[in-house]
Amino acid sequence: MPPDAAATLAARPQRRPRAAHVLGQNIGLVLAAAILLASAVVFTLMFVIQQQRLPGSFEITSTVNNTMPLAVAAIGQTVVVLTRGIDLSVGGVIDLTNALAAIFLAGSPLHMIVVSILVVLVGAGAGLVNGLLVGLGRLQPIVVTLATLSIFQGLAIRVLPQPGGSVPAGYTNLLVNPDAPTALIFLAVAILGWMALRRSRLGVELFAVGNDEAAAVALGVNALRTKIVAYSIAGALYAVAGLFLAANATSGDATTGNSYTLTSIVAVVLGGVSLFGGRGSAIGAICGAFITTMIVNILFYAHINPLYQAFYEGLFLVVAVVLGSLIGNLLRRRG
Amino acid sequence: MPTRFLTLDAMRVLAAYGAAVLLFVIGGFVHPGFASFASVTSILLVASFVGLVAAGQCFVVLVGGIDLSVPWILNAAAILLATASLGEDSRALYAIAITLGGGALAGLTNGVFIVWFGVPAVVMTLAMNGIVEGLALGLSGGLTCTACASYAPPIVAAAVHGVWLGVPAALWLWLVVIVVVTFALGFTRFGRTTYAIGNNARAAFLAGVNVNLTTVCLYGLSGLFSALAGILLAGFGGQASLGMGDPYLFQSIAAVVIGGVSILGGRGQYLGAAAGAVSLTALVSVLLALNMPEYGRSIVYGVVILALLLLYGREEAE
Amino acid sequence: MSLAERAEGDPAATIAARELSKAFGGVQALRSASFAARRGEVHALVGENGAGKSTLIKILGGRLHADSGNVLLDGNAVRLGGPADAARRGIGTVFQELTLLPWMSVAENLLIGREPRSALGLIRRNALAGEAEAVLAGLGIHHIDPRALASEVSLAERQIVEVARVIVRQPRILLLDEPTSSLVEREVEWLFARIRELRARGTAIVFTSHRWNEITSVADRITIFRNGAEVGTFDAIDEDEAVTLMTGRRVEALYPPLPPVPSPAAPALQLEEAGVGDGGTVSLSVAAGEILGVGGLAGQGHRELFLGLFGAPPLARATIRIGGEPIVITCPADAIHAGLGIALVPEDRKTEGLLLPLSVRTNLTLPILAQLSRLGVIRGGAEARMSREIIDSLGIRTPNAAQPVGALSGGNQQKVLIGRWLLAQSRILLLYDVTRGVDIATKHEVYELMMRLARQGRAILFYSSDTEELTHLCHRVLVLSRGRIVAEFAPPALTAEAVVAAAIREPHAA
Repeated sequence: MPPDAAATLAARPQRRPRAAHVLGQNIGLVLAAAILLASAVVFTLMFVIQQQRLPGSFEITSTVNNTMPLAVAAIGQTVVVLTRGIDLSVGGVIDLTNALAAIFLAGSPLHMIVVSILVVLVGAGAGLVNGLLVGLGRLQPIVVTLATLSIFQGLAIRVLPQPGGSVPAGYTNLLVNPDAPTALIFLAVAILGWMALRRSRLGVELFAVGNDEAAAVALGVNALRTKIVAYSIAGALYAVAGLFLAANATSGDATTGNSYTLTSIVAVVLGGVSLFGGRGSAIGAICGAFITTMIVNILFYAHINPLYQAFYEGLFLVVAVVLGSLIGNLLRRRG
Repeated sequence: MPTRFLTLDAMRVLAAYGAAVLLFVIGGFVHPGFASFASVTSILLVASFVGLVAAGQCFVVLVGGIDLSVPWILNAAAILLATASLGEDSRALYAIAITLGGGALAGLTNGVFIVWFGVPAVVMTLAMNGIVEGLALGLSGGLTCTACASYAPPIVAAAVHGVWLGVPAALWLWLVVIVVVTFALGFTRFGRTTYAIGNNARAAFLAGVNVNLTTVCLYGLSGLFSALAGILLAGFGGQASLGMGDPYLFQSIAAVVIGGVSILGGRGQYLGAAAGAVSLTALVSVLLALNMPEYGRSIVYGVVILALLLLYGREEAE
Repeated sequence: MSLAERAEGDPAATIAARELSKAFGGVQALRSASFAARRGEVHALVGENGAGKSTLIKILGGRLHADSGNVLLDGNAVRLGGPADAARRGIGTVFQELTLLPWMSVAENLLIGREPRSALGLIRRNALAGEAEAVLAGLGIHHIDPRALASEVSLAERQIVEVARVIVRQPRILLLDEPTSSLVEREVEWLFARIRELRARGTAIVFTSHRWNEITSVADRITIFRNGAEVGTFDAIDEDEAVTLMTGRRVEALYPPLPPVPSPAAPALQLEEAGVGDGGTVSLSVAAGEILGVGGLAGQGHRELFLGLFGAPPLARATIRIGGEPIVITCPADAIHAGLGIALVPEDRKTEGLLLPLSVRTNLTLPILAQLSRLGVIRGGAEARMSREIIDSLGIRTPNAAQPVGALSGGNQQKVLIGRWLLAQSRILLLYDVTRGVDIATKHEVYELMMRLARQGRAILFYSSDTEELTHLCHRVLVLSRGRIVAEFAPPALTAEAVVAAAIREPHAA
């Protein structure tokens, strides 16, 4: 039914070009990618100057393998942060799943697959607990996950009191092949998974809840279910990170995961995901994870006293966030 | 107090104290001597360090913020005290002054970036923790510098361990802090504006409150209290050590929320946070008295926090 | 329909409310209210702010549950499980507070839940904008960029997207709560064209509006609400009678007489060439004892003007004189302490005015803590005395000064906000839509208070979304449109029709 001419709202001539929208709406991701590229270039230059050759397969492989646990954990943190939450239990879940992996991974490939799936389910269960407490319990995410962090850490130590256990070489080769950056395949799978999530009903609801929970509910979104699912997915991803960590170390340690609580938040922030929810991309968080690894590499090749490493990382984080928001504001003003 | 909100708040503080007393009673049953005066004062002494850090944490949480830079401001303070004083009483005052000043400066820097550069509090204080850590480690050569082996000035150690009227001096100091902070939050312009900002920063701003300046000062105070705790811990243990600040981040946040302070800001009292610090320390002590292994303590710790929060820390349903 | 009939129910009703009651805290929003709308009719719900219209729409739209009473669909009582459930039953609602997700694109918002999908069941994100463009074009909307974020488009455009999102789902029953509040004439015409199309297809349409000319131009029937219940349903009713029914008293009795402006008028606040919104400039002058009204449609720079005079944030390129002296205002604290003292009573007392969980006393004395303190310590006795005085003189109904202000009724909350500035001895009051969502009795009290303040020689700058209020309470009224003053009225030319006409007149050639 064509509306009568008098009652149409005619086009305004000036419209922002499509590219401007894409850039403006993905500015966090674009900046993260730019920083990653810049840090990779700086690293390569330093490497070439000092080693008289380009970084080879070994350097690339070790960078990828070392970053995998953080990259995967950062995807999980992204899912939670998108709902306007935050997850401090990352370290505890990684500790627990890492310990479980180190003890139970053995035997036939089939057995290892079953164990891996069970470990991921344990992680999802841990996330489910967080989600239930946040959703049904109506508690603040930061305090809930602070408490469950302690619980999961305790369970991890119970499972593996001393560092030890072992991960079969075959498992290590599959997840983090030391000879070639095949782990990138898993990363590609993760990115595909993210893109599918982004294009699913759940993904839309995830963003909707983080945008404005009350409006999302008015639009018919089940905010409670969305949050519970988000924390569960995150938990499962932390478990995957725990598996990668175990594969990297070829053994288990119930405390190595602790640092991931804070580094996953750093990766998410560097990746341009808004801590206020509703905006961001897991791809950005993956970039963020690689940026943190790159910074460590750069500091190493710049012969910075490793004792100062935390100083430069902290400084970099502040500078990156301040510059990022400045650039974002500038673009918004011009648009 | 006649009104619903205040009653709820008062109940939360009382619940925190009730939990502390209950834990001492349980401890007394499972371990004879646990509830003795000497044992209680030594537990309270340990709690005082958490309590002091929690004072700073309480300030920033009251305005809806958080301070993750506690661990290394505390640790760096302990290192700075030892290296600046070289363990000499004559330099103690100078060392304490620059240590407290340094802590406050780090905290103020947090506040400035949070308020004027719009950096989220979680990110800024996380970065500051790294910055201070790197500086402390780098400048002290990983605590291997010659001055790093220095002990805390004897006068500081004596002040912590010294006993006055049967109670350790550090406890007296905490008591003074409790009184001063509670008074400041309850009866001064500063306290009033802090609650106003925490409840509704926009409305406070439109009522003429200098929201930015107050917020920066609160972060400065948090840094100051972390540094103070670092000085006392150095005096308590005699020396600075690496990682000594690590437990205080989560403990301070836990103490604050257990004490009935809303993590969203605007509600709660330091009196409650102090009780939270005592409860948590007593809990660990009871579990130790039960010979519970580390993993068990960690699990029970988390469960107890969750249980208390579910009891009285829930948001109101719509 | 007579009042006796409605309790039995309207047999032709597609959607009906039977004796709904709903309370929020201590405030009774609906008191056994009944209402019915038929297939193929446009039914206007009219009433004062706070009469219960929005609450009724929220209950019919599944967003709230009534404390008692029923919602009936085609004569059957139903329990709506939520907005999604209501949508499944064919009820589409545009709520007053918009529900667009700010960081998602117009297209994502428009198509949420019915996005174009690929064979794998995944959303084709690349196709979103094209589909949205087509959907909007099908509704006669060509000016909104579907790729823009919802937070990037104007308030009017957001309102249009919100309406479009509901219409494309082809509801049997369409509920619109103040859908025209930020639309200009052309956009209102567009909306009414869509409403007429839907009516022709048999949709039952319920809408609320404050603009009488809109109501009469599109509504088939009108139900009037007052104080949480319906007064009656009419096929036709003239405006005077409707206003009497809405307010429960004659118009003259609602509005107290205006005190004369003392002459010669001493200018209290003068504003020269202040930049407001995009490109507009405003100059104005208010005298001591004068109430100067500012009218016009929503979103035309009123908010920027009022907040700007208060330094939150400051106006661009403005020269502000207080009592003739030029002053610089960079933040609210400057404004409060400037010369005669400026005070702002903001639009939304819950988010911008009051600290709801804190006590009446704390809320009253917040701006004057500096004077009340010695060495930073608040003098409790003085504070208690001063707040007591204000509570008594304004007749704020509260058990005591320690009561959380959130537990007070809306009108008393508003009085606390105004009382705060009397304590601060502000001589210039900026009152921004202070009677919104307040019941009639309290409105009357607020009006009386305004007159009292004017008699005391305070200068008042007054914005209201209710044009009727402006014409009765102000000595002069300025009409603001796109950041410019487009008209000024004083009695006898000051009438609601004149103000509205000036507000909706399209600017020439721009």
